[in-house]
Amino acid sequence: MQLVVDQLETKLGKKEIVKNISLQVNKQKFVGVIGPNGCGKSTLLKSIYKSIPPHNGKVFLGDIDVLNTSQKKISQQLGVVGQFNEMHFDLTVEQMVLLGRTPHKKLLEVDNQEDIDIVEEALSQTNLLDYKNRSYLSLSGGEKQRTILARTIAQQPQFMILDEPTNHLDIRYQLEILQCVKDLKIGVLAALHDLEMAAHYCDYLYAMQNGKVYAAGTPEEVLTPEIIGELYQIKCETYTNPVTKQLGFVYQI
Amino acid sequence: MRTEQVSNARLKQTYYLFAMIFLICAIAITAVYSVSIGQVPIPFQQSMQVVLHTITNGHLGSLEQIESDSYINIIMQVRMPRVLFALLIGMGLALCGVVMQAIVQNPLADPYILGISSGGSLGATFAILVGFGSGTVLAQFGVAFGAFMGAMITSVLVLGISSIGGKVTSIKLVLSGVVIGALCSSLSSLVIFFANDAEGIKSVTFWTMGSLASASWSKLPILTIVVLAGCILFLFQHRVLNTMLLGDESAITLGINLSVFRKLYMIIAALITGTMVAYSGMIGFVGLIIPHICRGLVGSDHTRLMPASLLLGGLFLMWADVLSRILVENVELPIGILTSVIGSPLFIYMIVKRGYNFGG
Repeated sequence: MQLVVDQLETKLGKKEIVKNISLQVNKQKFVGVIGPNGCGKSTLLKSIYKSIPPHNGKVFLGDIDVLNTSQKKISQQLGVVGQFNEMHFDLTVEQMVLLGRTPHKKLLEVDNQEDIDIVEEALSQTNLLDYKNRSYLSLSGGEKQRTILARTIAQQPQFMILDEPTNHLDIRYQLEILQCVKDLKIGVLAALHDLEMAAHYCDYLYAMQNGKVYAAGTPEEVLTPEIIGELYQIKCETYTNPVTKQLGFVYQI
Repeated sequence: MRTEQVSNARLKQTYYLFAMIFLICAIAITAVYSVSIGQVPIPFQQSMQVVLHTITNGHLGSLEQIESDSYINIIMQVRMPRVLFALLIGMGLALCGVVMQAIVQNPLADPYILGISSGGSLGATFAILVGFGSGTVLAQFGVAFGAFMGAMITSVLVLGISSIGGKVTSIKLVLSGVVIGALCSSLSSLVIFFANDAEGIKSVTFWTMGSLASASWSKLPILTIVVLAGCILFLFQHRVLNTMLLGDESAITLGINLSVFRKLYMIIAALITGTMVAYSGMIGFVGLIIPHICRGLVGSDHTRLMPASLLLGGLFLMWADVLSRILVENVELPIGILTSVIGSPLFIYMIVKRGYNFGG
């Protein structure tokens, strides 16, 4: 599914956080949003999935006019993996993932065998089958985030938004999460803070600064020493990693 | 591995069903036991015959062996309404406890959080000390009315304050509940301070300890309708209640706007609590601990938590009522004291023995 964001503006209180941003994610592309803390990445994503309603602009997901469609309808097509969130009550991993079926259910409908099969499939895609009956709160950070990803997969979305999904995670878990999403072969818009990951996984990048798009293009076009230096206010050199043959970065203040 | 898990899940399901059937049987037996005891002790056998005979309209059980005709009257007119009161109020308290804990995403919540208790107390205090006259029947009605109005007005206020600035979040709800609660408590104290009425102050104290003594058939219909309608409604809301545990951000990505449901559930829970407070005063602790005990037994998934809490809540309050009548001879202890006295050790047992960590 294709995502088109047109001239989006979002205010928090009186302050304008997202200033007239337009972007596009083509079918099955993995598109990244990078930028320093406070540049409006999170707010931009939240505006797209309406957790923070934007003040102006248009968002289209395929044919769906997101801003004028019910949350339920949108959530049948759009899955979101956010940053860590705290919970005070415990559920098992399976119950947690079953909640991903919510958008497809009427208010009084119970889960049937099909839902259970979908959950089983999502658990196996995220390597969580053995954790099915474990309590969610007893899991490690990486396992928790994988559970959330499994829940989002069980939602069977045609498009996924990731808001720094690998924050606080060890390298292995970061790779696992991003690879798993990449393998889904659906459109993805992800805010990422690790530039090497962005270079490796993204087909296209938007660099944000002060609520505006500062640069856009393929990772090779955007991840240049000049743009990164200006974006994050650092000195930066790029090189080709001799082992992975991918883009590598060296930073200095 | 896979088959093992399937059988494990099936085992859990069996265990759950067995536990539910056990609770229902326990409630039935407790009901019969409860109508047997009191100032006129009636043998258990005979109580059972009377109850069976009455509820099956004469198809089961016979009245031939009943020693005294007055037994039937005592059981059906005096004790039965009280047993049903205990069952319904226990269910209602546990129901509102589960719902409130989900609404505010806080394991500390009970039906009386969010100012409902202080509002109810203020209403009752006002009715007793300033009040709606001194005629016994009218006064009784006045206290119930005052308590109900107090509870409803404070909940609406709390909801109003937490709606300021858009979304109703759990933090805003708890904080406005605490603020309004403190305000109502001090107003109650003010009324008591200026009241020159020792008898009245004593009634206020008794009221805050809770009592099922006012139970009667004539009061049952309203309580039954309100509590049962609430139970049926919330039994089918497990999906929304579960997403509430995830918080606003996750719920919205699953297509559910919690702000709307919080308001709705809050109003319904306040209505149920207000009705219960009006009839029985403040019976504390049930709404807090029953959901926790049930979480320890069946988990936090509301599909199972809700039925388990309803049944256990009802059973718990029936036993608290039985004990309040038999512990001290010829004295009826306020039931609110009993619920805390039985509830606390039970809760501590849960934490120590079963390693329960407060739902989280």
